[in-house]
Amino acid sequence: MQQQAIEQRNFRFTERIQSTFMKMQLRPLYYILLLVLGLPVTVAVFVLYVIRKKDDRSNRIHNDVYTQLRDSDYYRQLSEEFAEQIARKNQFFGTPEQEESVLKQSATQAEEELHKTATTRTAEILEAQGIRKTTFSQMFQTVLGNPRFLMVSFVPGLLMYGFILLFSNFYIKYVLERLVMSVFVILGVVVLVFTILYLSPFDPAANLLGEAATQQQIDAFNRLHGLDQSYIAQLWSAVQGIATFDLGMSYEGNENVAATIANKFPVTFLLTVFALVMALVVAIPVGIISATRPNSFLDYSLMFIALIGLSIPNFWQGLIFILGFSINLELLPATYSPSNWLSMIMPVVVLGTALTASVARMTRSSMLEVINEDYIITAKAKGLSRRYVLWKHAFTNALIPILTVIGLLFGGMLGGAAVTEKVFNISGIGSYIVDKQFVPDIPSILGGVVYIAITISIVNVIIDLLYAFVDPRIRSKMKQY
Amino acid sequence: MTLNKEMNKTTNNRLLKMSSEYKQASFTTIISFLLTLVLALNSFGFGTQAAKPAVLAVTIAYAAFTVLQLWITRRIRHDVLTADTLQKSTRRFGWVLLLSGLTANFFMVSFAFNLIKTKKTPEYVFAVYMVMVQLFIVAVSALNLFKPYVADLFPLGMLVLLSVAFFYLIVLVLMARFVDEHAADKRLIWIAIPLILTAATGNLFALLLSVSLLLKIRRQKQPGISQWNLIWTKITRNTTAMLGMFFIVFVFAISVSSYLTFDYDLAIANNFAVLLQPPSLAYPLGTDDFGRDMFSRIVFGARISLIVGVLSTAIPFIVGGMLGALSGYYGRRTDNVIMRLLDILYAVPGILLAIAIIAAFGANTVNLIIALSVGAIPTYARTMRANVLMVSNLEYVDSARALGSGDMEILFKHIVPNSLAPMIVKATLTIGGAVIATSSLSYLGLGVEPHIPEWGNILKIGSTYLESHSYLAIFPGLAIIALVLSFNFLGDGLRDALDPKMD
Repeated sequence: MQQQAIEQRNFRFTERIQSTFMKMQLRPLYYILLLVLGLPVTVAVFVLYVIRKKDDRSNRIHNDVYTQLRDSDYYRQLSEEFAEQIARKNQFFGTPEQEESVLKQSATQAEEELHKTATTRTAEILEAQGIRKTTFSQMFQTVLGNPRFLMVSFVPGLLMYGFILLFSNFYIKYVLERLVMSVFVILGVVVLVFTILYLSPFDPAANLLGEAATQQQIDAFNRLHGLDQSYIAQLWSAVQGIATFDLGMSYEGNENVAATIANKFPVTFLLTVFALVMALVVAIPVGIISATRPNSFLDYSLMFIALIGLSIPNFWQGLIFILGFSINLELLPATYSPSNWLSMIMPVVVLGTALTASVARMTRSSMLEVINEDYIITAKAKGLSRRYVLWKHAFTNALIPILTVIGLLFGGMLGGAAVTEKVFNISGIGSYIVDKQFVPDIPSILGGVVYIAITISIVNVIIDLLYAFVDPRIRSKMKQY
Repeated sequence: MTLNKEMNKTTNNRLLKMSSEYKQASFTTIISFLLTLVLALNSFGFGTQAAKPAVLAVTIAYAAFTVLQLWITRRIRHDVLTADTLQKSTRRFGWVLLLSGLTANFFMVSFAFNLIKTKKTPEYVFAVYMVMVQLFIVAVSALNLFKPYVADLFPLGMLVLLSVAFFYLIVLVLMARFVDEHAADKRLIWIAIPLILTAATGNLFALLLSVSLLLKIRRQKQPGISQWNLIWTKITRNTTAMLGMFFIVFVFAISVSSYLTFDYDLAIANNFAVLLQPPSLAYPLGTDDFGRDMFSRIVFGARISLIVGVLSTAIPFIVGGMLGALSGYYGRRTDNVIMRLLDILYAVPGILLAIAIIAAFGANTVNLIIALSVGAIPTYARTMRANVLMVSNLEYVDSARALGSGDMEILFKHIVPNSLAPMIVKATLTIGGAVIATSSLSYLGLGVEPHIPEWGNILKIGSTYLESHSYLAIFPGLAIIALVLSFNFLGDGLRDALDPKMD
């Protein structure tokens, strides 16, 4: 009994590896990766393939069919036919061509046609005789289906099998693919931002050391921060620095850049996350209320407020809040201090306003689109409660565009936090970048921008995963190669 | 409630919703009521514990007109429910409502014009708004009369503005009499041509009107309604979109005519005799810490905001549009290369990229425009690519190819013009974002040079006087909101008009 269970499990395991391999080899890049990762196994299979190929009859049959066809009337007919077609075409367009070139063209076309026919005929013959043509990848697949081969080759092909197993779960496959893409994008971002800063006409040394600095001092500064190296060398050290979280010392104040960023980043991130939560809690109910009573007074007022929320500049809203709540009413502190959670309220509201407004508008429009679908009427006709229909049938289907908006705006919020941070005097990453730009302090700006870009990329991967969670159509699309 | 009653209510609601006059009437009533409330709150000085007589008088006028408006709204409701159309006597009250123009109640005047005319052609609506913009410009420019001195060109400028306003009034009457839904009098061509010339004063409604008029005269005998007319009919029926357009055109026109009627010195020269003055007739919005007139500063700031906003939308519109069109049309490798490169740009939030670019090349207006443009390219490219992908599969593209058109001809003659609509909507909606970004960056000291009166710069000064002279921070902010809101209104209206799904 136990033996059987183990066997079954083994079988399922080989099945899984085999089928995943089959899917993966459809993509050339993955195929090459697989062959390279499992090099010992590949070599073994290749030897097997060469041995098997010798007694493979398919090639011989193909050759036979081809020569047969070539010698028969069929080839002559074909080339005549093509020659006539070409001649007629030339006549129609009034472009006379020489006999020779016509013949040449018709011959190549006939040859192509001949190959096609030969291949189909060979396939027919092979099928009739019950012989399968062996290709290398097919061979590989068959071998993988054999549990004994798998057991023997598991250790030498560990890398390849690990790769296959990871990709056999489509969620992991998707995440891995997205992460690899993100790595390339981030690399691009580093190159882009570094190049922009490198091209800068400003000289940090002159800006920091002042006009009285001697050439020697400037040279020493440049040497210290590697500014005397070539573009490529500097770029390489920037990439390395980003990857290893070691960006060296900032030009101004001589602090460790990575440590400073690590210190300042949590505040900004916390702020954005709270703003996001606030946006969701407020905007989604507002959007749904608006959508359930379209064109009513309530709908118009809510959407008008949302539009104002979209049109209000962050810093002005912050100033007005300070004026109203801190100066006039004396309810909330005007500047942020980490120990007082009340001081967090105004920055969060200010930062989240634009997102709240967009999400509310998006919720309304996508709910309106869904709410008029036939299946909603069906659900109502089934006698489901209004609330159930609204949340289960309408809202879950309206979620995709809402998620898209959140994904898009989260990045903008994280990037735009600089303004809010300046207004409320929060020492987050945004205001850090703004403070450092006057020098310009290349490692600080580069680090700040790139780490924010990395965060946004990760958030976008999460959002894409949520798509799959929400929408089964996307889930099934993810399974395809 | 019995079934009968409920059904009655539903039909009534539907009838009322069908009537554009009723919808606009109730909208106007609510807005006027809110305006009256705001005025009433302001008419009582909390600091001095006494009423301000001037504001109080305006409040009373507003209140009176609001009551009249409410009464007309009830009448319209009655008319619609009983007779399905408005009675002539109801429409006549529009003439009375026109008087509200004296209190500068834009909403009521626009409603009054709507009420007076039974069949509204886009040309009539354009003419109405054209006249209103011109009158507002004259009124705002006339505020300079209270200043200690005026610009050298002020008398000439006012003369031009006034005569143009008079000409526009005549045009309005002509539009009401001689243009109907399908045809326009041929002789109106002699009006259309000078009208185009007056658009040089910045009144874009004049341009729209003359183009519309010329199109209508040319298609006199042809059946059907042109695309141009169809779209503008939809937009002109949309009150909020027209409101947005009104303000944008007004801001544009005032920035053009400010070359004549406003004195730049008042906005930039220090005047230590009038430091931090509260709002008065000579300085309608007060003065700042260098004694510069806030009102003039905001008017001149409009110019910068509009230029930066429009340019930093136009550049990515063209560049991103081209890239998107190429990658959508050619597909495969071209698509992959272009879109993957743009993904890199897309990964950095626009404002952060702008900060990085400005950090590298310094803070000035040109760099600001470039910085804002670069960050916006990927979104335009994506929009354009999606549209081109969709349009390339349509039959007329295949037929153009079958007729032997080249790639470039197909792309720019057949595909691009037909995929522009979503791009235009997007552009309108993002100009507002660009205006906000401009002022935000200026506020951070990364935008327009600090000595130029730009809204963000003005606000930056205002923010330091938040406690003592808060109006310095409030007014420029209101100007930004109004402009951005207008672009958003117009963008929403354009989307509704251009999106066939809405029909």
